[in-house]
Amino acid sequence: MNTDAIKARKVALQEAMEREAVEVLVLFGNNWHADHLRYATDFGIQEGQGIAIVRDDGSTTLILDDAAECERARAEAPTLDAIFAPSLMLEVKRQLARAGNHKIAAAPYHLLPFGLLHGEKDLRVSDGASIVDHLLMRKMEVEIASVRRAAKLADQGYAIFRNAARPGRKDYELVAEMEGFFRANGVAENFMIIGVGGVEVRGMAPPSGKILKKGDLVTTELTPCFEGYYAQICRTLVVGEPNDAQRSAFAQYLESMEAGIAAVKAGVTAAHVAKAENDVFRKYGLGEYVTSEYTRVRGHGMGLFPDQKPQILEDVHIVLEAGMTLIVHPNTYHPAVGYFVLGDSLVVRDDGHELLCGTPRELFSTILQ
Amino acid sequence: MRRGLMAWDRDEIPPGAMEARLERLRVEMKHDGLDAFVAYTNIARGAAVCWMTGFTPYWNEGLVLVGATGNPLFATALSKRVADWISSVMPLGDVETTPKPSGLIGSLIAKSGAKRIGILELDDFPAGHAQAILQSVEGLQLVDATATYALARDAMDDVELRLLATANRLAGASCAAAKVDAREARDFIAPPESVARLGGAEECFALVAQDLSKSGAFLRTESLGALGETFAARVSLAYKGVWTRQTRSFARDRAVQASFDKAALALEHFRPEAAASISDQIARSFGSLGRIVNWVAEQPRGSCPLAPVADLANTPQAKVPATPFVLNLELEIAGARWIGARLTNL
Repeated sequence: MNTDAIKARKVALQEAMEREAVEVLVLFGNNWHADHLRYATDFGIQEGQGIAIVRDDGSTTLILDDAAECERARAEAPTLDAIFAPSLMLEVKRQLARAGNHKIAAAPYHLLPFGLLHGEKDLRVSDGASIVDHLLMRKMEVEIASVRRAAKLADQGYAIFRNAARPGRKDYELVAEMEGFFRANGVAENFMIIGVGGVEVRGMAPPSGKILKKGDLVTTELTPCFEGYYAQICRTLVVGEPNDAQRSAFAQYLESMEAGIAAVKAGVTAAHVAKAENDVFRKYGLGEYVTSEYTRVRGHGMGLFPDQKPQILEDVHIVLEAGMTLIVHPNTYHPAVGYFVLGDSLVVRDDGHELLCGTPRELFSTILQ
Repeated sequence: MRRGLMAWDRDEIPPGAMEARLERLRVEMKHDGLDAFVAYTNIARGAAVCWMTGFTPYWNEGLVLVGATGNPLFATALSKRVADWISSVMPLGDVETTPKPSGLIGSLIAKSGAKRIGILELDDFPAGHAQAILQSVEGLQLVDATATYALARDAMDDVELRLLATANRLAGASCAAAKVDAREARDFIAPPESVARLGGAEECFALVAQDLSKSGAFLRTESLGALGETFAARVSLAYKGVWTRQTRSFARDRAVQASFDKAALALEHFRPEAAASISDQIARSFGSLGRIVNWVAEQPRGSCPLAPVADLANTPQAKVPATPFVLNLELEIAGARWIGARLTNL
């Protein structure tokens, strides 16, 4: 538990609420979108749903609709006021009724239970994105310390992954080895997708039972979570020796990623970084493959959520600020070899970046027995 | 996120079985005068959509629209590059990827002329999606269709029972892999997670009660320290979208472990009679082993993969469910806390 980060987040949240003149903040979360809840309570929700009610006097109540999760919250954070309520919506309504006519904001607004907002004439709840979004994007140094640890675990995890990737193994067996390693090392969550094969592979997804064979590209994004904070690494390996096309593709992705990373510094936009990456593809006549037909993003923010703002795209004009944690990854389809990934996590600094990943930027290959 | 095996085996989940489920839902929809039915899904609330389509989004969210005829439509905010993959692992339904799934669902409802839309768990339905659907058609009526779905979902078909049996075997193997001689709780619980996923689990939550003399709360690996003299592993896992749990307690002391083993064996062989009182049958089977502190029976309910359907505190007179359920049981055996959980009446 990073107690310094928990204390710092609490202060930052109170200050943000004061700036926006919000007296009560309602934060919703589940195992998919756990970030808002974690920011306020440090509880990493696993089953069911939860809502934290944060008041301007600094008190916070965590309401969970799963009894075992509530018991865990009380054990993991003994000072937290955690309540089990089979109906989250009814309990939150009851709590908010107590707050009277206070100015209430909520986030993420679109995920709030419909019953909480619908038909309640006296309950006016505004969108609290302006309070929370910036806090989630720009990390304090005490938060960056956890992201740094997560990045180290990503490096270690990738070493396990490389060793596990052998011909004849199934894709989900690689994941199983990874997850055992992560649980033994205090990682409770991991965002991970995988791709196995050649030109027929258009992207990554959860494992579907593919068997690794000679010549396959094996792509993965590993995103372990440490003390609630995610860091990501993307690498591609070849089962056996890489061929010329695979080596050539790797050189293009490496040049693109390094161009993107070199463009990162406080004050530039996410679009600027994406353009630096994409220009390399365009230079090699691969401009078609940086469109949404073939790729989603050229990187993204990470923190309490593994895929947060800013998305690195040429039409995203969010200005990068010192303290944002990002992955720069020019992951996309390559017509000669198939889907290919390469990416490193970093912290945006005033004069550039601090690299968080230490795994060599290589096209790895597995040894055939 | 879901990062275990996600694959569709036609022998395990025949399309005909999924179509039969859909037909059951349509019968109930018609009975309740619904023009269409919409359910929301994400990794925390995926049970209903998985029952209808066989798919849970590994990340992000989605909505399923079931009309009076035709295939259900699964609209998801996942990237369009995974649409073909989803189709390949989803036994029933068409897939559309869009940044605004509720906008798409709303436009399809508008086109169909439907006016009365049943929403699973309307009060808990994400407000943003509800508003987007409401805005798509003037005069649209959203009604809570939780009971409609529950009637269709009431029975467990052979497909579900077979998947449950596989999940149960995986959970047993997973718990058995716990490293009982470990000092640190993290080392104790890491092998069960690997074993579950090596066996094909789609998801696995492996938690530890690290010192049962102090607490029966099950913690995640990030909060764990050294194991106490008595401790327990709780494995919750999904196989092809079907969830079960298993909990096993362990003791360093051989005599205590022997009493724990007796309780575990009794739980393994516990076959309560359907429609009889759960409390009475638990008392009969476990009362001689120790004091019954608590029990909770869980089954899938609505969008929840496992939710309490009866428990000692709130429904002590509840009857044994007609279909298999997970029984979570806590006993005090000679002053020691023992916790067990198993799929019962499979």
